[in-house]
Amino acid sequence: MAQGSIALPQVQLLRPTQWLGQLVPGVLLLAAIGYLGKICEQSLSAYGKAHHLPLPNIEYVLWAILIGLAVSNTIGIPAVFQPGVATYEFWLKTGIVLLGSRFLLGDVLKLGGLSLMLVVLELAVAFSLMTLLGRWFGLKPKLTSLLAVGSAVCGVAAIIATKGAIDADDDDSSYAIAAILALGAIALFTFPLIGHWLHLGDRAFGLWAGLAVDNTAEATAAGALYSDAAGKVAVLAKTTRNAMIGFVVLGYALYWARKGQAREVEGKASFLWRKFPKFVLGFLLISALATAGIFNKAQIGSLGNLSRWAFLLTFAGVGLRTNFRELKLQGLRPFAVGAIGEAVIAVVTLGMVLVASKLFHL
Amino acid sequence: MSKKKSKALPQRKSFNLTTDGWAVTAALILALLVRLGLIHRVPW
Repeated sequence: MAQGSIALPQVQLLRPTQWLGQLVPGVLLLAAIGYLGKICEQSLSAYGKAHHLPLPNIEYVLWAILIGLAVSNTIGIPAVFQPGVATYEFWLKTGIVLLGSRFLLGDVLKLGGLSLMLVVLELAVAFSLMTLLGRWFGLKPKLTSLLAVGSAVCGVAAIIATKGAIDADDDDSSYAIAAILALGAIALFTFPLIGHWLHLGDRAFGLWAGLAVDNTAEATAAGALYSDAAGKVAVLAKTTRNAMIGFVVLGYALYWARKGQAREVEGKASFLWRKFPKFVLGFLLISALATAGIFNKAQIGSLGNLSRWAFLLTFAGVGLRTNFRELKLQGLRPFAVGAIGEAVIAVVTLGMVLVASKLFHL
Repeated sequence: MSKKKSKALPQRKSFNLTTDGWAVTAALILALLVRLGLIHRVPW
C-alpha cells in the first residue's frame, strides 16, 4: 500500500483546521455516495419482497462503486471535493485494521500462512510472466518492472513505492498505474461472476480475489461483492500480499542499482521497514487483542460494523477515482501487457486455490 | 515521451503521519472507545 501521507503536499502547509476543512466536502461526498448505495440495496430488496419479484440482490458495494463511476465519468469531481475523496485509502486501511477484530490470531496464522505460501508462488509466476510479456511487446524495461510489481503485489501503491526506488520516469509510472487501475476495475466485476459460475466456496473465492485482484480496495470490494465471509478472507490474503511489498521493491531497487540505473540502497533493514505497510501491524494488533478476550461479543460486532462503514466510504472512492477517459489516454500497449498477464495470473492463482481447497478443505 | 524525473521530497522535520499511521491511530482510538463503552451497538 501507499506510503504517502493523506494530505497533498500543499495541504500540509495549512493549519490543522484548514486542512480538515479541505477534507470535509470530499469525505461527505464519499459518505453520501456510500450511503446511497446502501439505500439502493435495501430499497431494491424491499421492493422485490413487497411485490413478490425475484429481483437480484445487488450489494451496496456494487451500488456505491457504480454511483461513484457515474459521477466521476459524467460530471467529474469538482476540485473542492478532491482532497476529501483522496482519503478513501485512509478509510480502507482503517477498515482493514478494525476488521482484525473479526479474526482470531490462530485463524490469521493458519489462513495467513496458507496465503503466504500461495503469494510466494503467485509472485514467482507474475514476475516471470510480466517480464516475458514486456520483452515481447517491446515495453521499456522499467515500465515492465512497474507493471510486474503492480500486478504481482499491490497495485498502485507498489508502483509508487517502486518508482521512487528504481528512479523510473513519471510517464512510466502513469502508464503502469492506469493499466493496473483499469485491470483492477475489470477484475472487480468479473471475478465474482466467475466465482459464482464455478460455485467457489466463500473462503476459496476470498483467497483467489486476495491473490489475483490488484489494489487492496478492489480486492476487498470483489470479496465483499461475493459474500461477507469471502470479503474477510480476501482482505487477509491481500494483506499478506501487501506485506511482501518491501522485499519486492528492495529486490527491484538492488537490480536496477546493480545496472547503474538507480541509486544504491543504503541500509536494507531500514529500507524494508520504510516500505513495510504498517497497517498490517495494526490489523495483527487488533486481532491479538480480540483473541486475548479484550473485547466482548457485542464490542466485536460494533468494531466489525465500524469496519463496514469505513469500507462503505472506500467503495465510493473506488468508483470516484476511476475515470475511463483518463485511462484511455494512457495507450494500449501497457494495458495489453497488463491484461494478458493478469488473465494468466488469474487462471494460475485459481488453479492454486482449487488445489489448496482440496488439500486444506477450505 | 518526456523524461521527467521525480524530485526527492525535502526532509520533513515536523511530525507527519503517513496514511498507514493515521489509519492505525484512528482504528485504535475507535477500538478503545468501543472497549470503554463510549461507542456501543454500532448499527449497520
